Amino acid sequence: MPDVSTNRKPGYSLVITGAPYISQAPATAFDFCKTLLETGHKVDLVFLYGDGVQLASVLTAPPSDETNWTAQWQALGKEHRITPVACIASALRRGLLNEEEARRYEKPAANLAEGFTIAGLGEWVEAVTRSDRVVYFHGGA
Amino acid sequence: MNDTRNILLLVIDAPPYGDWRGREALDMALSLAAFDQPVALMFRGEGVNWLRPGQDGSATDQKTVSRNLGAARMFGLADIYADEDALVRFGIDKTEPGVDAVPANAAFYARFREVIQP
Repeated sequence: MPDVSTNRKPGYSLVITGAPYISQAPATAFDFCKTLLETGHKVDLVFLYGDGVQLASVLTAPPSDETNWTAQWQALGKEHRITPVACIASALRRGLLNEEEARRYEKPAANLAEGFTIAGLGEWVEAVTRSDRVVYFHGGA
Repeated sequence: MNDTRNILLLVIDAPPYGDWRGREALDMALSLAAFDQPVALMFRGEGVNWLRPGQDGSATDQKTVSRNLGAARMFGLADIYADEDALVRFGIDKTEPGVDAVPANAAFYARFREVIQP
């Protein structure tokens, strides 16, 4: 566990396991992440796991009077140079593919939204060992 | 119980065949072990059904989870615990071998470096 005894603000990693429009998880995580960044904290990683990978789908098309959480995260990521990472195993199971995986599995299309990336659980493991705090946002199933 | 102060504890409370969260929590545990992070599993609530002997997942076209747990041990999983009250609640008087039945209280969780419920 990193030393947090100094005045340095702790660095956070966020793990989102709940899907948008099924759970509040991506929205609550968004507010939490935004507040962290606005108060000078470092966000080491935003990791999408399980149903949370649905946040990274470019095909999400909510009604115009509802918040588009994929777009919200894209804008936040762009502003603060954060690229949320979707777990590759969770993503493939749920039909979320980048161009490379679409080619590998011979699928007709890719649907990973710009500003997101796909990687393995090693990213999360590194966050567990590197970040001062790792906060989980669940779907509440 | 071994010295657990350096161990990450992953908690599984999802049943083995009706919910994918448990399998994905196990994947997390395997990844931690693969990166040499000491990790243990705690089954509680409906999750203790992972430990029921004689399972056959083929009836639901799923992999039998006890095999996954066996693989976890080979990958270096430190220990497997089960909430003793939940075992009683679900009528599991005998579990897969190598499982420690423990009280799921604050004192138990406080022994670990970190507790993660994916």
